[in-house]
Amino acid sequence: MTLSVALGPDTQESTQTGTAASTDVLTAPDIPWNLVIWNDPVNLMSYVSYVFRSYFGYSEAKANKLMLEVHKKGRSIVAHGSKEQVEQHAVAMHGYGLWATVEKATGGQGGGTGSGKGKRG
Amino acid sequence: MAKAFKYGLKGITGFLEPAERDLLRSLFDDVISMLEPEERPNQDPLAALVGLDSEAREPSDRALRRLLPNVMKDDDEASLEFRRYTERSLRESKIGALKAAALGLDKDELVLTPADARHWSTALNDVRLVLAERLDIRDDADAEHVHRMQDWSQAEDVESYLALVYNFTTWLQESLVQAMLASLEA
Repeated sequence: MTLSVALGPDTQESTQTGTAASTDVLTAPDIPWNLVIWNDPVNLMSYVSYVFRSYFGYSEAKANKLMLEVHKKGRSIVAHGSKEQVEQHAVAMHGYGLWATVEKATGGQGGGTGSGKGKRG
Repeated sequence: MAKAFKYGLKGITGFLEPAERDLLRSLFDDVISMLEPEERPNQDPLAALVGLDSEAREPSDRALRRLLPNVMKDDDEASLEFRRYTERSLRESKIGALKAAALGLDKDELVLTPADARHWSTALNDVRLVLAERLDIRDDADAEHVHRMQDWSQAEDVESYLALVYNFTTWLQESLVQAMLASLEA
């Protein structure tokens, strides 16, 4: 599995340690990933909205809509992108104290390695 | 009594009594000591320098797990691998914000630059996340129960004292965030 590293901005290209032998797992940049924010009873609604506005540059209306979705539905997808991009966002969200995870955007099961069509044998 | 943060001509300003500053300083210090990465004797210094920690693992303490959560919900292995590359720098950036906020506590009149305000807001948030774990706040009903505790003369045990501290930091953070939102409009 490839792994992006969200280090500081002045340490780029220092992360290729170890050779990734198992590159058959599909983590190509064109597979979309989601950044999910989860509800918790501690974070202030105003703070969550502030983070969405200041970090993502979202409008007040969009930030509030996403914040309310987190609050009411328990979670909200607040950004999409490559795996590396959403992982970087997740670390930033953890820095703010929000509970963030990343997930593959293709909601269905399967995907990844085995691409066999039709069972054999 | 502390005064709520507000946004005005001088930027974001606030006021804290000496006892309140002492309280906040000890809260910031507590969270800093939770977050300090443990130094291991056989650690590769170069790896540590670039933020790698091949022995990082999911924290057993619930509060620490909330500060440094897994990046994937249902994949502990991938989360652990990600943690090894990112957790150290996350700890350091949190510690940096907490230290910066603590440094600003040397006088009762607070005048925050935008960077100070960002440090203060994340520092207060991390303190509240830790207190909330200690108070067992699991859902909105728990939070509401804790929120009803407002009278310092009734603080007779550790839990009621913690609840009052939690409510104070909540109030302070809310006023700060409102001031920061006002500064976004300006």
